Amino acid sequence: MSSPGIAEPTEAIARAKAGDALAWGQLYHDYAPAIYRFCRRALPTREDAEDATMEVFMKLKGKINQYDSSRPFSGWLYKVAANHCWDTLRRRKIRQDKETEDSDELPLEHPDPSQLDRLIEQRSSAEVRKALACLSKRARMALVMRYYSDMSYDEIADELGVRRAFVGVVLLRARHELRNALEGNAALAAGGNA
Amino acid sequence: MNESSNNPDERLDKHLDDHLDDHLDEMTLMLYVEGQLDRQRAQQVSAHAQDCSSCRILLRALERESRLLTRSMLEEDEPLPSRLAAFQQTARKSMQWIWGAVVGLAATGAYALYTGYVEPMQQRFEQAGFGGSSVLNLMIFQGAFWKGWQSMVTLLEVLALLTIAGSAVVFLRRRLRGRGSVFAMMVAGIAVAASIPSPAMATEFRNQGDTIEVGKDEIIKGDLFAHGHHVKIEGTVDGDVYVFCQGADIEGHVTGDVIAFAQMLRVNGKVDGNIRSFTNTTWVSGNVAKNLLTFAETVNIDPTGKIGGSVTTFLNTLTIDGIVGRDILAFGNETTIAGNIGGSIRAQGNTLKFNSGAQVNGPVKFKGEHAPEVSSGAKLAVPVVFTQEEHHSRYRDSGFYVWKVFWIAALILFGLVLFVLLPSFARATVDSAERYGASFGLGVLVLFGVPVAALIACITVVGLLIGISTFVLWIAAMWFAQIVVGAVVGQWLMGHTRETWQLIGRMAVGVLLVRVVETLPYLGGWVKFAVLLWGMGAISLAIYRHFSPGRTATIPVSPVMPPSSLPPNTTIGSPQPA
Repeated sequence: MSSPGIAEPTEAIARAKAGDALAWGQLYHDYAPAIYRFCRRALPTREDAEDATMEVFMKLKGKINQYDSSRPFSGWLYKVAANHCWDTLRRRKIRQDKETEDSDELPLEHPDPSQLDRLIEQRSSAEVRKALACLSKRARMALVMRYYSDMSYDEIADELGVRRAFVGVVLLRARHELRNALEGNAALAAGGNA
Repeated sequence: MNESSNNPDERLDKHLDDHLDDHLDEMTLMLYVEGQLDRQRAQQVSAHAQDCSSCRILLRALERESRLLTRSMLEEDEPLPSRLAAFQQTARKSMQWIWGAVVGLAATGAYALYTGYVEPMQQRFEQAGFGGSSVLNLMIFQGAFWKGWQSMVTLLEVLALLTIAGSAVVFLRRRLRGRGSVFAMMVAGIAVAASIPSPAMATEFRNQGDTIEVGKDEIIKGDLFAHGHHVKIEGTVDGDVYVFCQGADIEGHVTGDVIAFAQMLRVNGKVDGNIRSFTNTTWVSGNVAKNLLTFAETVNIDPTGKIGGSVTTFLNTLTIDGIVGRDILAFGNETTIAGNIGGSIRAQGNTLKFNSGAQVNGPVKFKGEHAPEVSSGAKLAVPVVFTQEEHHSRYRDSGFYVWKVFWIAALILFGLVLFVLLPSFARATVDSAERYGASFGLGVLVLFGVPVAALIACITVVGLLIGISTFVLWIAAMWFAQIVVGAVVGQWLMGHTRETWQLIGRMAVGVLLVRVVETLPYLGGWVKFAVLLWGMGAISLAIYRHFSPGRTATIPVSPVMPPSSLPPNTTIGSPQPA
């Protein structure tokens, strides 16, 4: 989960722990873009992501002493961000979530391999990002944690508050939701062009 | 095989042990792609996929799906918003020099406060025998120096000063554009106010045992502070008199005001100013040139007593046998008039009696449970206008509903203005309200603690500005609290939103509902109380977050590079297994 291409900011973290504002500036400079993108993927609107990015860095001030420097800093930072975003989403009880919880009990339909292969081949990154907005909050959060910040199944289970063995189910259901959204968006686009 | 159960481990064992000759399910293949299978199982899946074209195609599709997901997530599709990029620059521009100035001014102000007030006060206290006085004593006596208690003109001056200060803050805020700038400027302003030297005054303190006396021939130039069991003033005080005692007798001459905290206050002499008393009994048989304001159990104005101005009372029993030059405003249980009243009377209470000998030159209005008793010997300029205290249900009064609608509309309008002017803060407050426990807890603290703190601040010299401002803000917050709770309730009903105008719509619906529930008999009062607690807590939480030291302390100070030149430090995903 560490960030390739950047050395661990050991010195900046040590100085930040001591209250050095320049060190905080360095950490913000290095990690704010990544944290913003994480929040942008996980939360519904740009404003939410902006608020969340700033709030995550606010929280860091209080939590920096809890950071274990033997572990990758970016991984720890993503856990803080994931925790904040998931808290934010959970506070917003929307009707869609009730429906999602109900649908947890339903079995998933086995996909047609060739059809799935075609669907994936035809879809672009931009379409996937757009489709994320149609997902339930848990599905969206699980995908972001797994495919953006590369969090382990244990970490995802910990954040979402589910059993470790259930993480695979959450991710697979999230993929199914995403495929439905991709198909739905494509149908809408086709309808609009017709 | 074509359906997934919710226990991947059990399902996997089942398929791998018994059905490897059949197709693998999607969950097993996804776990393989994700690298979540142990070596043995992964080898079995790999071997199966080589022999089974359907599973091989599905496996390939899942791998491509994983890569598509990772690519979609990590692509830098939009630049870092300017708000985040400007986050640190704003802070650096506005906060650094401002906070430097604040620290400097605060230090100067603290020094001026100590040398100008605290040190001389300590010396005076020691001279007057108040050694080892408590902080509360100090604050009370400091407050006594400020003449604003006695003059509405001074209060107007303070309000004018506040207005000018507010305008200056708004003007400067536009230039500074810093989140903490306003707060910083306020602190700086307070420090400047504290550094203004106090005017020189001659003040006498007396605390000489059980009885404090100002002898008949004694003349005190300046104010007198007297604290003891009994205070007796037979001489002349050329200034104000402040008494804190069990019994006080003013038999001499006071050229200023008398402010008394006592069980019994007797005024037999002459007071050129006002009397303001907080007593059990106030007895006036002398001459008071100006007004009487009292919070007491009993007030008697004897036949020889005379109040040149008006009388305002909050008490149980008021008896006036003497002369009152102007109007009477009385809130009390029993009011009895047998003297001469130059102005009007407005009274509210249980009974109002005019005995023989009473003369009232102005109109009389009385609202009470019993009709006023007017003796045949009493001379009233006009008959008493009596309003029977009615106990009928307010819910039967149509005016009640008209006013309710009016207030709901005003509240929604107030909310609309706030939400449009301060959209971010409004959203933050509504979000804070969704932290129910923290909001209610903080609400209890703020609802009860702030007025007490404001009151304590008001009785200090410098704190009066802060005290009045805090109190005004506290009242405004009580209104805003209902708007915040309305917005949360609206979101419960109509779903969550981040759009300002949609939030305003939800707020309007919520406020309407909350106000309707608040009008319910019995339950309404509790609901209103809960709404105040909840809303004020949320506002406080949002303000705390806005101004919390963490925000300024964590503001980074190194410049943000343009998004295009950001280091490639955001590629987080690891390669997926082939």
